Amino acid sequence: MLTAILVVPFVVALLCLVTRRCGLLELLNLTGVVGLLVLGVKLFAVVVTNEGAALTEWGEFLRADALSAWMVLLIAAVSLSTTLYAVRYFRRDLSEARVTRGRFREFYVLTPLFTTGMLLVVLANNLGVMWIAVEAMALSSVFLVALYNSKTSLEAAWKYVMLGSLGLVLALFGTIFTYAAAIGRAGDAMPSFHWSRLMANAPQLDHHLMTLAFVFVLVGYGTKAGLAPMHTWLPDAHSEAPSPTSAMLSGVSLKIAVYALLRFHILTTACLGSGFSRDLLLGFGLFSMVLAGPFVLVQTNLKRMLAYSSLEHVGVICVAVGMNAPVTVFGALLHMGYHALTKPVLFFAAGDVHQHFHTLDFRRIGGGLVRSMPVTALVLGLAAVAVSGLPPFGLFVSEMTVLAGGFTSQHVWVSVVMLAALIVVFCGVLVKLAGLLLGPSASGRPRETVSPSGVVAMGLPLGTLLLFTAWLPDSVRQLMEQAANIIRGVP
Amino acid sequence: MNPPLQDSASHVITLLASGMLVVQLLMAVQPMLVTNIRLFAIQSLLLAAIAAVVGGTYGAVHVYVIAGLTLAGKVVFLPWRLERLVRQIRIEQEIRPFLNMPASMLTCGALTVLAYVVSRPITSLERVGSNTLAVAMALTLTGFFLMINRRKAITQVLALLTMENGVMLAAIALTTYGMPLVVEIGIFFDVVVAVMVLGILVFRIRETFASMDVSKLNELKW
Repeated sequence: MLTAILVVPFVVALLCLVTRRCGLLELLNLTGVVGLLVLGVKLFAVVVTNEGAALTEWGEFLRADALSAWMVLLIAAVSLSTTLYAVRYFRRDLSEARVTRGRFREFYVLTPLFTTGMLLVVLANNLGVMWIAVEAMALSSVFLVALYNSKTSLEAAWKYVMLGSLGLVLALFGTIFTYAAAIGRAGDAMPSFHWSRLMANAPQLDHHLMTLAFVFVLVGYGTKAGLAPMHTWLPDAHSEAPSPTSAMLSGVSLKIAVYALLRFHILTTACLGSGFSRDLLLGFGLFSMVLAGPFVLVQTNLKRMLAYSSLEHVGVICVAVGMNAPVTVFGALLHMGYHALTKPVLFFAAGDVHQHFHTLDFRRIGGGLVRSMPVTALVLGLAAVAVSGLPPFGLFVSEMTVLAGGFTSQHVWVSVVMLAALIVVFCGVLVKLAGLLLGPSASGRPRETVSPSGVVAMGLPLGTLLLFTAWLPDSVRQLMEQAANIIRGVP
Repeated sequence: MNPPLQDSASHVITLLASGMLVVQLLMAVQPMLVTNIRLFAIQSLLLAAIAAVVGGTYGAVHVYVIAGLTLAGKVVFLPWRLERLVRQIRIEQEIRPFLNMPASMLTCGALTVLAYVVSRPITSLERVGSNTLAVAMALTLTGFFLMINRRKAITQVLALLTMENGVMLAAIALTTYGMPLVVEIGIFFDVVVAVMVLGILVFRIRETFASMDVSKLNELKW
């Protein structure tokens, strides 16, 4: 099944490479992501019924435990909503000659490749292969960021690939240190590089090298995860990429990098038996959260503001893992899920605004979006309420879970700082979007044309979010608890 | 544990590794773009030689494969690809770094000393040669400096590649046999694809900006 999960998007990419018809490209992509979601749900069912025992294939080369299964679900969900939205978005871009047919095809070839890269990251057992997959994921998304080929998008893509590669060189250093730490410990000169094998011998690994390895990996994968201060590529790439790609970048790819970091965190903690990696995650996460606030407050570009909000949410996840209470780690996983359902919707709505006004600058759009674009405004408003952590949406629940866990464990001060940072971003996002949505509308704006497919693409994730907020199935809860136990190193 | 390397092999490896560092410093002061690309090829050749010596000393077939891949990819293919790119976009030959040559040289010297200092606590972990880990660290640090010191997109790509050479040297120094073959081959293909991707991106930047000066990429701020 794991092989099938990897093969489906890869085959879609290959088929799209030889397809010329636009309609067929869309159809292939849609079929692929629906298939992926079905396989993802099946994997989830198998892992849950196995009581958290990992599924392996190809002699443990591919391995899926509860944490991987959870990430596969997130990737599948975001890919599905992105592809649904992309159909209308790119048709409009094509008809308004914002993209050429070549670029249009490029999107439908590279996006499934990007998805394959992410899936390989979470399914690979070998830490070296995981690095290769992260690099593949980064490389396949470069031209997605540069899709519009404008000066600013090329600049963003250049920063994205250079900073990303720099980070990955450091991550490779860390990966090699990890491997070196295992040599001679398990008895042979060429030990296995499988995460599960390393975990089995974790206490025997060279402590000094593991410490170094984690620092390198933290800076390396931290760059891909957008942790401050290595986040500088993040707002550029998220704002310049076409909206479906922004949704993928923000909705899952940041979390995939966090996942890679978590695997090393689990290994380091099991090896050292101390809170070394935990405290580092906590520190970087908190710094990202605190830094995101002011940037959200002064932002004048809609998608850049959303990008800084993503930075804050990555911070929440890292802090929650760093606190290491059962509740907070569970909250972190819950937060990943809810954020993956919310953030793409915001980028979709922002994409519609961009196509309607041909700008993302708050000052040039003015206000009164409720009048000129009522449907988009409603979606944007709802998603903004969700993303800033207000009830009845899930992010409220997950943030409260993390905060409550933080206050009851010994992290009162961290929780206070976190709460303050959350409030700053909350105010920033709501003030900016209130200005955009309400107020007098500039005269002479044409009204938006609403299409059912657009409403479905944006409404579906929001509906799912509401559904899973009100009712979290026991099996999903079980899966997340198993994943939380893996992260906390509890057998 | 591994048997100790024969003394002569150890000396040869140390010598080759120092050669890599010398080439790196030459790159820092060499103003011509094509010469820089060729220097990178020489540096990669030294890396391949180190892998070959390690393979010969231990009789390990799979380290030979690493040497072969390095030879084919980083000594022949990538330099050829980069030189062709330089010809294609007809850029001027001279690299104009932000810092002038003497200042660059001094900075690189300082970074090398720093690399030796920071890698001192872990030199005992080296399995191959002496101070190879320090050289690897120095390559990475000076590569980082070269990257931020240069304006032209291609020279930044070159700097990234020298950093990668440093990491691969560290891999051999720390593990002797390198990493499992599937990982080595994967890394190799990733690097090749990365350079192709960067090449296309450089080409597009050149077309759009009529320049390859990345300091002109400054429209996006905070």
